[in-house]
Amino acid sequence: MKTRGLLEGLRFTDTFFPSGGYAFSSGLEAAVQGGAVKDSDQLARYVEDLLRGGMSRREAIAVKLANRAGAAGTLDPAVQVDRELDSTKLGRESRLASRQMGRQVLKVAADQLRGKTVLTEYRDAVEAGKAPGHLAVSFGLTLGACGWNGEETAAAFLYQTAVGFVSAAMRLTPLGQREGQRVLGEWLPVIDRISREVGTETPMSSWSPIQDIYAMRHGRLEWRLFRS
Amino acid sequence: MIVSPVPVSPKRKTSPDILTESVGRAGALRLEYARRNGRTIIARSHCTTPWHLLPPIYLDETGAAYTLLVNPSGGLVGGDRLSIDMRLGGDTHVLISAPSANRVYRSQGEVSIQDIKITLGAGAVLEWLPEHTIPFAGSRFRQSIHATLESGATILLWDAVASGRIARNERWAFASLENEIRITTAAGHSLVERYALDPATDLGSVGLAAEWDYVASLFVINDTVTPEVWSRLEARIGLLLDEQTGSLLGGVSQPAAPGVAVKVLARTAPDLTGALDALWAAVRAELWNLPPVAWRKY
Repeated sequence: MKTRGLLEGLRFTDTFFPSGGYAFSSGLEAAVQGGAVKDSDQLARYVEDLLRGGMSRREAIAVKLANRAGAAGTLDPAVQVDRELDSTKLGRESRLASRQMGRQVLKVAADQLRGKTVLTEYRDAVEAGKAPGHLAVSFGLTLGACGWNGEETAAAFLYQTAVGFVSAAMRLTPLGQREGQRVLGEWLPVIDRISREVGTETPMSSWSPIQDIYAMRHGRLEWRLFRS
Repeated sequence: MIVSPVPVSPKRKTSPDILTESVGRAGALRLEYARRNGRTIIARSHCTTPWHLLPPIYLDETGAAYTLLVNPSGGLVGGDRLSIDMRLGGDTHVLISAPSANRVYRSQGEVSIQDIKITLGAGAVLEWLPEHTIPFAGSRFRQSIHATLESGATILLWDAVASGRIARNERWAFASLENEIRITTAAGHSLVERYALDPATDLGSVGLAAEWDYVASLFVINDTVTPEVWSRLEARIGLLLDEQTGSLLGGVSQPAAPGVAVKVLARTAPDLTGALDALWAAVRAELWNLPPVAWRKY
């Protein structure tokens, strides 16, 4: 990867990027209130289980397909995977959160990455309601257009997701910064394996019923810090 | 009852790939429902072994046809390829269940396949509530349920899987389990649930869900019901799930297609059955102001 492409892509993986991700916990808040996540070990298991069962064969595949579309400058495969992803996201809060964050990525990417017409075309398609604009797809397209390959992009996406969970857990549980880093480090091997091993030939699938249920339950919490 | 695989006869009407690859049965069940004189009837049907067709039963005054999916062998062995093709004509109302759980027996290598295709005409109602699937240790099962809805049609689809033969302490010991549910409305909105479990692999493991013994989904989709009704149903089901503690964990939300999606984890079969009864009653009351139906299975 060229250094310029690396830097352009890093902006979108950085927590400094204004995707609005800080407002979402992806159901973790409901899991904490429900007693499923009380300490850092339970957090580690809960998120690793989600990365492996829920996201490896769904979001990671979507990211890789979108990355290829971004690198090749072709719109249709990205629209197709985006719509399919939308259909598989059964929980409204999670689905809308993913779409909102995806649109933020696309807006900045289309405005600022000059000469990447696939990004402006995709932003227009999302704004016209032709594609939902999920984060996995927007992120994959953008980093593909920046010159990142599929494996790198999938790893960056999952890492960003994992950081989001640590960040949310620090506000929801007594998790400290050093402990948060320890947990994050524990997830790196599985993120590495997913990014390398997941292929794009199989249809997207997902198995994380516990996390899906807590994400669905979030909207019914009496008090909430997060929007998902 | 475990049934030995029956070689496919060359005379049987099957697709060429099945003739060359399958050692099991290729059973097809086709049902076409129509509305006649205020009742839903089976206008046309066709079935091959192992499917067995019974005439519909009428359990209440609505004219809804209650049909049992009967597979006398009790389940699928490796290489079996069963299919159901169900067409509901306009304004028909059909209830589907099964007399017993769907057992999937151990297979040395071949997959047991069940493909279900459902087409709902305008205004048709399908309440699809089969018993749960029990994947035995070493079984390999692949199921697809594809439903296409014309405008105003309603599908209520329940799909549940057990961890295995729990009484034998055989839990999550199957070789592979794939399930794909796709519901598509007339406007092209879809709900898709697809999972692929192969517990021997890292990414296909059952994970934290292995603490539970039953995993189920309920989907209710209709493209003409108002958002207010869906919100009321969602709230009603949410309350119902909030009342459960310990033995059941459930969530409800609104998917990308107009309707509600419910996910449930249960510890025992009575917990699962209790959840289904309560959810089903809530849907019938909210959508049609109808009371629960008293099942009759034999």
